Amino acid sequence: MLRFIPIPAQAGISGFESPAAEYTQSALNLDELLIDHPSATYLGYAEGESMVGEGIFSGDLLVISRFEKVKDQDVVVANLNGVFVCKKIDKRRAMLLSAAPGRAPYHIREGDDFQIEGVVIRSIRLHRPLVKSI
Amino acid sequence: MYALCDANSMYASCEKIFDPSIRDKPVVVLTNNDGCICAACHIAKRLGIDKKFVPYFKVKEDLERAGAVIRSSNYELYADISQRMMDVCSRYAPNSHIYSIDEVFHDYQGWMPPEGWFKHAWAIRRAVWQEVRLPIGVGIGPTLTLAKAANHAAKRIPGYRGVAVIDDETSRRYVLQNMELTDVWGIGSRLARRLQALGVDTVWKLANANPGWIRKNFSVLVEGTVYELSGIAKLGWDDVRAPKKEIYSIRSFGQRIFTPADLLQALTQHAGIAAAKLRRQNSLAGTAIIFATSSPHDARGYYRKYITHRFAVPTQDTTVIANACRQAVQAIYRPGVPFYRCGVGLIDLSEKAAFQHDLFTPSADNPELMACMDAINVKYGRDTAHIAGQGIRQKFAMRRQFLSPQYTTRLSDIPRVKC
Repeated sequence: MLRFIPIPAQAGISGFESPAAEYTQSALNLDELLIDHPSATYLGYAEGESMVGEGIFSGDLLVISRFEKVKDQDVVVANLNGVFVCKKIDKRRAMLLSAAPGRAPYHIREGDDFQIEGVVIRSIRLHRPLVKSI
Repeated sequence: MYALCDANSMYASCEKIFDPSIRDKPVVVLTNNDGCICAACHIAKRLGIDKKFVPYFKVKEDLERAGAVIRSSNYELYADISQRMMDVCSRYAPNSHIYSIDEVFHDYQGWMPPEGWFKHAWAIRRAVWQEVRLPIGVGIGPTLTLAKAANHAAKRIPGYRGVAVIDDETSRRYVLQNMELTDVWGIGSRLARRLQALGVDTVWKLANANPGWIRKNFSVLVEGTVYELSGIAKLGWDDVRAPKKEIYSIRSFGQRIFTPADLLQALTQHAGIAAAKLRRQNSLAGTAIIFATSSPHDARGYYRKYITHRFAVPTQDTTVIANACRQAVQAIYRPGVPFYRCGVGLIDLSEKAAFQHDLFTPSADNPELMACMDAINVKYGRDTAHIAGQGIRQKFAMRRQFLSPQYTTRLSDIPRVKC
């Protein structure tokens, strides 16, 4: 039996390929820009005005990384006796520093339950409230 | 060499990550509908209040007396933390295989860490603790069964503190001599009793038994275990039987996948495999985790995305699970990402026989209806016809009295930080 294989007629002229067809560029993405290590990064809300000197206001979004090595004077999120706090860490003097006038530093004492949870690598001001959920 | 990394009391440990006030308290997690205890942290275990699968109402007073913190199952949180753990672990090996929500195997394919196996295992454990704040155990060995044995040693045999390596005769002997038969992978209590009756009453004796004699008296599977315990690899991924409590179907692709259609096809296939396993063991799944990732070793950067899908009614129907995949692909797919691995995990399993029907949410498991509905949706667009229950948030249908916030997957639930 004769096998018939249909071949579409072609003139063989295809012109130039569009250079744009070679790769697809995906749109800009804030996650990629702001988050270096997704598995080690969390979001939090700032509550309170003690860090305004660092530009962190109540209601701002904090991007917190557990990946970063903690350096002296970093803005960190720590567990202090069962509460998450955002402060600057003074490693030499074992103190938590605020960044607002009239706020005393906190000396970490023997018996305090204290662990650094992560470094605040970015903070985001919400000039208009969020309408989306993740 | 192979490694097995698994989390210590996964669910209870997840609850402690974002709630520092309960970190040094006994924490127990309840199954769906707050029915029974399904997980407990080590503090709760020390107090002896970790009665697995005992109805909550029966032990309510005991728990209160012990000052226990009760939590409903927060699968959205656990699935997210699980993904993070898997991401970190898979950085450390050329090839990894997710086995369950809190267990991942590494296949090193002949690669050797320059710093040695022990330091390598420590590095994995430290990284997962630092980056995810999840405590894990790491066991390394020359076969899957020995990796599992080393993992058991890491967590249970005093002195190992979370990491164990079987890489010579001394370490193999020490670990196997400190295990019970039922601690060996694939040896259940009935099999252990039969082995004991024939004089094979320790793991060490089993490892040194004559394989032919074992095959004659037991099975090819147990013979394989003998070889594996003596350091000769017999098991591949496909022989690795899924644990009863959850079922995962995952594959890496031979070629990278670039289109949503291909991704959906792959996921649907996984849905079919996982659902078939589910039906074989007569279980129903309450929740599916559907995910896809690029390779952690790709130059373009790592992409991963997953969806936690709670079924309105626990299901074992392939089409119901496949439908969940179809919805998930929309959220998972991204143009330009070379997808390397995808899979479906069914968690939150319950016995079909024990399933209590809900007056207001009838089961969606109906193969004929499913086929018809799919046909309609293909012709007239997605969700033209769908189950009413699909739109109803699980929260109203389920008792989740002690649910913690979904700290990492819902914007309204992210942790508050005091300034």
